[in-house]
Amino acid sequence: MLAGKDGRVTHHYKIANIVATEGTHLANFDEAKFAHLQTLSPEERADIAFVMDARDMSLALKDMRRQGLELQVIYHSHPHSPARPSLTDIKIATEFEATRVVLNLPEPLHLIISLEKKDAPATAVFRIVNGTVTPVSYQTL
Amino acid sequence: MVKVRIPTPLRTLTGGKSEVETPASDIQSLIESLNGRFPGLKDRVCDNKGEIRRFVNIYLNEEDIRFLKGKHTPLKDGDEVSIVPAIAGGTQ
Repeated sequence: MLAGKDGRVTHHYKIANIVATEGTHLANFDEAKFAHLQTLSPEERADIAFVMDARDMSLALKDMRRQGLELQVIYHSHPHSPARPSLTDIKIATEFEATRVVLNLPEPLHLIISLEKKDAPATAVFRIVNGTVTPVSYQTL
Repeated sequence: MVKVRIPTPLRTLTGGKSEVETPASDIQSLIESLNGRFPGLKDRVCDNKGEIRRFVNIYLNEEDIRFLKGKHTPLKDGDEVSIVPAIAGGTQ
């Protein structure tokens, strides 16, 4: 997760991906997706899906509050596909909308890093609201 | 009574309900109470040792119970508990 203020990212929080280790009962996914993931090895699961370690996630959010920062960007990589949100990304980001309101979090943007071309990683940022994906421009300072 | 917000992936267990109310004195009794009404819910939220799974957060109001007293966090009438799956995504 990336945090900062007023649209400027200043802090990076690395969150563990536990999808490889937590093979059963992954409540984040619907039953079809879950059933599909169960057919894969831990390594294959980690290659196509991520689930943040919930404790890491809460610790990061807590630190942001302590430092007066806001969650600005949620990022993850696509090892074998382009830098655009998958159907799973869109579905889960849309579901997160209700959660973030309850937790009083600002709307985060979504940064996707494509490793499809190993020698030329690509990045793109999106706004995902109500299932609608809008590309967002950004600058690296 | 405590109000509990149910995340979308678990609503198949609650008959589609996004919020339920239940009496509970702490988080552990809340989970047991919910599991009594919606069998299977505890298994999705807790591991076989009864601990909250690593991909689930439970918030009392706006605070993660891991930073309160965990499953022994006391509850009172009017509290709002949110079961929140960790952020996730995928390439497909």
